[in-house]
Amino acid sequence: MKTLNLLPHSSPQAAVQLRHALQTNRDQTLTQLYQHTFPMVRHHVLQHGGTAQDAKDVFHDALIVFYEKAVAGTLELTASASTYLVAVARNIWRREVDRRQRCNLADLNEEHLQMPDQGEPAEAGAAAEEVSVLDYVERLGEKCKSILLSFYYFQQPLEQIASTHQYRNVRSATVQKFKCLERLRNSVRNVLTETFSH
Amino acid sequence: MRPELKRLQQIEQHLLGVPQPGQAEEWALQQLLDADLETDTEAQRRVYQGLYVAGQRQLRRELEAIHERLYGPRPGRWRQLAAASLRVVCTGWSRFSGNH
Repeated sequence: MKTLNLLPHSSPQAAVQLRHALQTNRDQTLTQLYQHTFPMVRHHVLQHGGTAQDAKDVFHDALIVFYEKAVAGTLELTASASTYLVAVARNIWRREVDRRQRCNLADLNEEHLQMPDQGEPAEAGAAAEEVSVLDYVERLGEKCKSILLSFYYFQQPLEQIASTHQYRNVRSATVQKFKCLERLRNSVRNVLTETFSH
Repeated sequence: MRPELKRLQQIEQHLLGVPQPGQAEEWALQQLLDADLETDTEAQRRVYQGLYVAGQRQLRRELEAIHERLYGPRPGRWRQLAAASLRVVCTGWSRFSGNH
């Protein structure tokens, strides 16, 4: 397989190349970024009071932010991809350390030794809705799930989705994508209609 | 595409597409003419939210797999250790059975 030289560049073309590589060859590109960057993030987190598990969690959060920005075309690289990722991870870890310190202070405060807040009912409702939509996504079947996630989350080009799922052309893949979306939408719509009618 | 799918595409354009001049007025008019449009649009909006969360979960699973591949215990290493242990046991056994 071709090795992508993504790491030393910091130009707008590099962001475009990176976007293309992530969309068309996600596993290899993420593996390369992982290999080059994780040791630096692990070193930083371990040096600043974290564990190896913390380092992994922080790095995964950073990679998700990075991936979403890259495929959305909103990533502005002023340094190499690796440097950018380390900076994001360091920020996330700093916030996490602050959060933990606040939690520790709160634990020491007697006022907080009451029953935990149950949260707003609206928040609980939103989480329940999210869970039910996720259930319907899981029930779609592998093919529909893969097509919808590839297009809407991973932002893969329809040409690639058509080729992966052996559709004759982009048009056929587009029709299939909307059929899958229709099934999912109808399931969610039924729940909405039931909720409104009660 | 059948009309239901075209309608789905239209709602997608409204929710995810770049707003075009005059589109808001046209949409308001369509809502007056199509009683189900509001509910369908809301359902579709929630579908996109759900797909976003499902996508993030999948990406997390993929990153976990990459981590395991790069830094997890290697099956080859276990096989080597098991084979070495077996050799030690076998050698010991043959010595033991040879002595008796």
